[in-house]
Amino acid sequence: MIKLNNITKIYDINKNNSVTAVKDINLHIKDGDLIILKGASGSGKSTILSLIAGLCKPTEGKVIVDEKGISKLPDHFLSLYRRENIGFVFQKYNLIPNLSVKDNIILPLIPDNPDEDILNNKLQEIMERFTISHKKDIIVRNLSGGEQQRVAICRSMINNPKIIIADEPTANLDEKLSLDFIDILKQLKGNGKTIIIATHDPLFFNLDFASKTIDIKNGKIIS
Amino acid sequence: MILTPEILAIFILNSLFLFFGIIALILSIKIYSKWDLNSTKSLQYKLEKNSYLTSTIIKFIFLIKLPLFLFFIFTLDKISNILPGAMCAAGVVDATPYGMYLFLVKIINLYLFGFWLILDKIDVENEKLPYSKLKFGFFIIIFFLFLSELILETTMFLSIDPTTMVSCCGALYSSTSASYISILFQIDPFILVSLFYTNFVLLIIFYFYKNSYIYAILSMIFIIIAIISLITVFGTYIYQLPTHHCPFCFLQKDYYYIGYLIYSTLFIGTFYGLAIPFFKNISYYKISIFFIIAYTLIVTIYPILFYLKNGVWL
Repeated sequence: MIKLNNITKIYDINKNNSVTAVKDINLHIKDGDLIILKGASGSGKSTILSLIAGLCKPTEGKVIVDEKGISKLPDHFLSLYRRENIGFVFQKYNLIPNLSVKDNIILPLIPDNPDEDILNNKLQEIMERFTISHKKDIIVRNLSGGEQQRVAICRSMINNPKIIIADEPTANLDEKLSLDFIDILKQLKGNGKTIIIATHDPLFFNLDFASKTIDIKNGKIIS
Repeated sequence: MILTPEILAIFILNSLFLFFGIIALILSIKIYSKWDLNSTKSLQYKLEKNSYLTSTIIKFIFLIKLPLFLFFIFTLDKISNILPGAMCAAGVVDATPYGMYLFLVKIINLYLFGFWLILDKIDVENEKLPYSKLKFGFFIIIFFLFLSELILETTMFLSIDPTTMVSCCGALYSSTSASYISILFQIDPFILVSLFYTNFVLLIIFYFYKNSYIYAILSMIFIIIAIISLITVFGTYIYQLPTHHCPFCFLQKDYYYIGYLIYSTLFIGTFYGLAIPFFKNISYYKISIFFIIAYTLIVTIYPILFYLKNGVWL
């Protein structure tokens, strides 16, 4: 269960210039939900994702994930929380372009220094699931957008996180690849993952398997 | 006034410590007075952010100050070469009225800074930051001792007159000395050595019994008895001279800098001994007893070697 209680987030650009990205938001997300956050650029969608992921802290209010007040956690505990609970899929994939598919995917596991056999098993399983195993030794900058997106999904899933956060995941994909991505989401939801997507891609607005579509405008929930 | 590269380095560092220390003090007062961990208001989030910065500043000051104590002793030793009459750091300490006070404040601060660093470590290792308010309150108190140290240190170095004759350690640490140090030599060495080893044996016993309060009290007594017995008894075996009792000379090259090892083991061992009741960490017993045994072995080996070589005790 994810709870956002009276969350306000203000970015202080300098002393006389601040931006209120999110204002007094309350949001409850149940385990296994797939939530679509829609709204124009600058409406506060990405800020909500960052708050849930523990990438930033609120100016006021509390973010609770599984009864744990993550907005009150010190930074190094937040890193642990992210590593264990969150899988990220970014608009620009955020892959390391000069590393191979395999090396990009295993990156989140490196701090745990896992046994090589376990690592290889996990890697093989995840690459087969998202049909990218045939490209495992290719340097990612040589892959197509859709393939890079799949690598990013593999990387987000390698730790088997409970929550998957995707920020504008189809912004750089054509319609066919976007539909492929939606299929992957359906599959992940079927596996019981909690998924939160920030998007303004209309393909997401009428998904039959989405639990809720939330409209954000000027940092507030409209509907 | 005397100005050597070492003193200049100490002055520059002290200026930096003072500048950052004042920033940390202001932030600590703010955090201490307004901290409410359960609050989800913007002020609390701001204070939590500030607390990381403040802890980091204090941590770096103290982490540098601890080894700097050895550098301070090294500096005193070095400038003893230019002071007429001084044979070692003892002469420099005695050259001004501030030297001995500075030394005492420095030793007290060593322990307090160490306590603060442990408190900070325990605090940041817990996701609920249980000791944040306490550690900043503690810093506010020790800041004034920290400030006293900086002022005394600066005043001492500025007041040293390189043209004035100072006493040598042989005159300062003797039974004929005009100072309170001469009282130490009225104690029977046999009683002193017995007290030292009794204290040591009791520490070993309470290491096994794990009584933190008694262990801490024994550690405190050990610091005092260890230093007195080092000056009056064990030191003479290091120098192999029955009349030389200086607690500084064995920090010099002639004695293979053994003093640094002696004082380090004594301070680390007793520090962890004193820390046990406050932090309830069972591993501190091991660290403490390891260094206390190391200290005892080092100071014991000198009389034994001397006896084996010469067949007499000093």
